Amino acid sequence: MSFLNLVEGPLFTFAAAVFVLGALWRLIGIIRIGRAKDISPPKASAAAGFIKGNLRHFFPRGIFAKRTMVHIIGGYGFHLGLFMLVFFGVYHIDFLNERILGFSWPALPRWAFLLTSAVAFSGLITLWVRRISDPVMQLISDKDDHIGSWLTFLVMLSGCFALEQAHDSLRGVHMLLVDIWLIYFPFSRLMHSFTFFLSRGQSGMTYGRKGKVR
Amino acid sequence: MHNQFYSLRNFLKLSVLMLMLAAFAAPVAAQSVRPPGNAVNLDDGIEDGPSNALGDVSDTEFWDNFRGGNPSELFAPAPEGQVMTTTGQQWRMIREKFIRKYLGWAPVIVIGLLAVFYLVRGPMKITAGRSGKTLPRFTLSARVAHWFMAGVFIILGLTGMIILLGRVVIAPYLGLEANSVLTSAAMQGHNLFGPIFIFALIWLFIKFVRGNFFQWIDLKWIFKLGGFFGGHVSSRQFNFGEKTWFWMVILGGIVISVTGVIMLFPGLVEDVRWLQLSTILHALGAVALIAVAFGHIYVGTIGMEGSIDSMLKGEVDENWAKEHHDLWYEEVTGKSAKEEETP
Repeated sequence: MSFLNLVEGPLFTFAAAVFVLGALWRLIGIIRIGRAKDISPPKASAAAGFIKGNLRHFFPRGIFAKRTMVHIIGGYGFHLGLFMLVFFGVYHIDFLNERILGFSWPALPRWAFLLTSAVAFSGLITLWVRRISDPVMQLISDKDDHIGSWLTFLVMLSGCFALEQAHDSLRGVHMLLVDIWLIYFPFSRLMHSFTFFLSRGQSGMTYGRKGKVR
Repeated sequence: MHNQFYSLRNFLKLSVLMLMLAAFAAPVAAQSVRPPGNAVNLDDGIEDGPSNALGDVSDTEFWDNFRGGNPSELFAPAPEGQVMTTTGQQWRMIREKFIRKYLGWAPVIVIGLLAVFYLVRGPMKITAGRSGKTLPRFTLSARVAHWFMAGVFIILGLTGMIILLGRVVIAPYLGLEANSVLTSAAMQGHNLFGPIFIFALIWLFIKFVRGNFFQWIDLKWIFKLGGFFGGHVSSRQFNFGEKTWFWMVILGGIVISVTGVIMLFPGLVEDVRWLQLSTILHALGAVALIAVAFGHIYVGTIGMEGSIDSMLKGEVDENWAKEHHDLWYEEVTGKSAKEEETP
């Protein structure tokens, strides 16, 4: 079995299984914690607060928006860019079609793929350099944050290196990093991809019930 | 000797004629590559010897005509009788004999000089020691712009060096296959990060241009060699060395960006010489910046105590500011840099 076959075959299957089961395990665990019963009479809908809390956090309030503009632009650029690359990159669609799903969908044209890659890379680099440049971010960042950022960066970079599709070894390195990323994901802060709506919703629900969400 | 030379020339002539024949045989090729107008059929006296294979055209005239393709019309069909350009050969010689041979040494020499300087001079300490009080020097967005550029610069520098020097540095030691893999990866990375560099350059310019214009006081810095060999040098927020580095990055970055765009989109230029010039200027500009960047890194880290704080924390020690940027210190604090503070 070649290196490429290993990382795209059994190792990928294992990593994907860890990713799915681990993420489910974490999510169910968080939901099962539950919350203390609030016996005070609600002033407004907690469910509406959950939704409002989620939506409201997509747009920072004025003063914060001004102070964190670089972070906001970088964050949106990276997250939206990565989403587009993962689900609309032609190589990814082909891989998912052939290996997992059995169907495909329209892919980004090459120029759009490259442009999106540039935006995503710019966003990720901006987020990380802000993490090391801001004294507050330095204090609240730990190894997990840096490993998550770098692992994601290396996955993207190795994918970029393999774009020519001329060498199996480059594709193999990319897939190996993808496998590692999938295994690392459920046990790290990368899980925020799935948990952000719960934390925002929890805050929204609490304040919504108190009638505080505007 | 004379006979050998004579037979070699005949061999070349015959080869050229055979190539022309092959061109006629391939319909597609025949549309873009045509034999010279004065070419003769192989049957024309070939059996009787090579005496009149080129008709009445001399060798010099033949080769001048053969190599006389117009480089300014890269994508236009070659005029009749003109098959190839020679600027590519000149470009290749510059690339092989100068750029690949010597250019890679520039960063190595700079690193060597810095190592010697460090061993002889040692790091520049804050003479009065750290005061424990700090001054804000760079905003968060300026620091992010700086590190963003630094990150992109490192990626482009590494991938660019692999592309430029892989064949002479990597291939002999790791083999052609490894070099091929690394060059393929580097090429894709370089092409993708190139446009990000343009964005980083604009961002850096906007954040740092203020305070980086040259002033008369910079002459003192030059005459005192920046204080690297002793003595105090006054300066505002940025000294002459920092300003020079800033404009090197901006102007060199513009050259690298423009030539990079030309190489990414070769259809933008009609004349092949622009492409050839672009590769040369791109390499020269990039290697120059990489070499000087080592000096920048040296002064910003181990070469000068307290410098790195400005880019990691955004603040510098007051004594550092008094010693290296006294006029800036006075400007932002309203106090004299020479006065001893009373506790």
